[in-house]
Amino acid sequence: MTEVIVWSGWVGGLAVGAYALFQFAMSGKHLGVSTGFGNFCSYISKLSFFHKGDYEQPNNWRLWFIIGLPLGGLLAALTSPGEIALSFSLGAMYDQVLPQALWAKGAILLIGGVMIGYGARVAGGCTSGHAIAGLSLLNWPSLLAAAGFFAGGIVAVQLLFGF
Amino acid sequence: MKKYIFLFFGILFGFILSRAGATTYDFYAKLFLFEDLQLLWVIATAAAVGMIGVAVLKNLKARSILDGQPLSFEGKPYTKSLIVGSLIFGLGWGFASACPGTALVMLGEGKLGALFTIIGIGLGTYLFGMRESRGHGA
Repeated sequence: MTEVIVWSGWVGGLAVGAYALFQFAMSGKHLGVSTGFGNFCSYISKLSFFHKGDYEQPNNWRLWFIIGLPLGGLLAALTSPGEIALSFSLGAMYDQVLPQALWAKGAILLIGGVMIGYGARVAGGCTSGHAIAGLSLLNWPSLLAAAGFFAGGIVAVQLLFGF
Repeated sequence: MKKYIFLFFGILFGFILSRAGATTYDFYAKLFLFEDLQLLWVIATAAAVGMIGVAVLKNLKARSILDGQPLSFEGKPYTKSLIVGSLIFGLGWGFASACPGTALVMLGEGKLGALFTIIGIGLGTYLFGMRESRGHGA
C-alpha cells in the first residue's frame, strides 16, 4: 500500500479550511463532493432526478472537481518518499478484521459505498458539504448531520472491531 | 470557462486531503475507536478556519473573484430525513473507511479497494435517484 506523508491534524485542518475558503471566495461555490457522483449517473441514466435541478447541465464544476480529486491523490503519492504501490490492502487495522478474500472484502466496501452514496443524498450532503462547509456557515442542520455521521461511524467501527 | 478551473481545484483539494491523513484507512478506525483523533482535529480546525473566514467575507460583502457575483451564505436546509440519512452515511463511512471525496483521492494513490467504494457510492446515488424519480411520477 502506498505510504503518504501526513501532516499534524491541525495543520491538515488549516489547509482544508483555507482551501474551502479559497474555493468559495474564488467561485462562490461551497465545498461539496457527493452531489458530483450524480453527474456521472446523469450520463448513463434517463431517470428524471438526474436531469433536473443540480443535474440539468451535468458538465459543470462538480464534474471537473471530482475528476481532479484522484489526480490530487496521485500527486500526493508522487511527492511522498515511498513508491506508489497498487494494492487492495486497507492497512493494518482494517485488514485484520475484514475478510481476506477479495470478493468478500470488495462486497463490504461496495455495501459501505452504497450507504455512503445513498445516505449522503438523503442527508443532503457529505463530510465536505455538511461538516466543513456547513459548519463554517454555522448552519445548524449541518451540525446535526455531522453528529449523525460520527454516530454512524462509531457504531460501524465498534461493530467491525467487536467492542 | 469557470468549470475547467475546478479540475485544478480538485487536484489541490485531493492533495490536501491526502496530506491531512483523510486517505489513510487506519485513521478512520482509530477515530471511531477514540484511539487517535487526527481526523476530528482536521474537521474541527477546518470548520473553525471556515467560520472565521466566512464571517470576514460576509462583513466585507465580498463578491466572488472569478465572476463578481455576490456570495451566498445560505446553508443546506433541514429536512425530515436528514438525521436518518446522516446515520446511514456514517455507517458507510465507518465500514468503508472513506467518504465520497477521500475514496476518489485514495484511488489516485493506488489504494484499489476504493474502486469498490466508488462504485458503491455511484450505486447508492443512483438508488436515491430511482426513488426520487418514481416518487415524482417520472
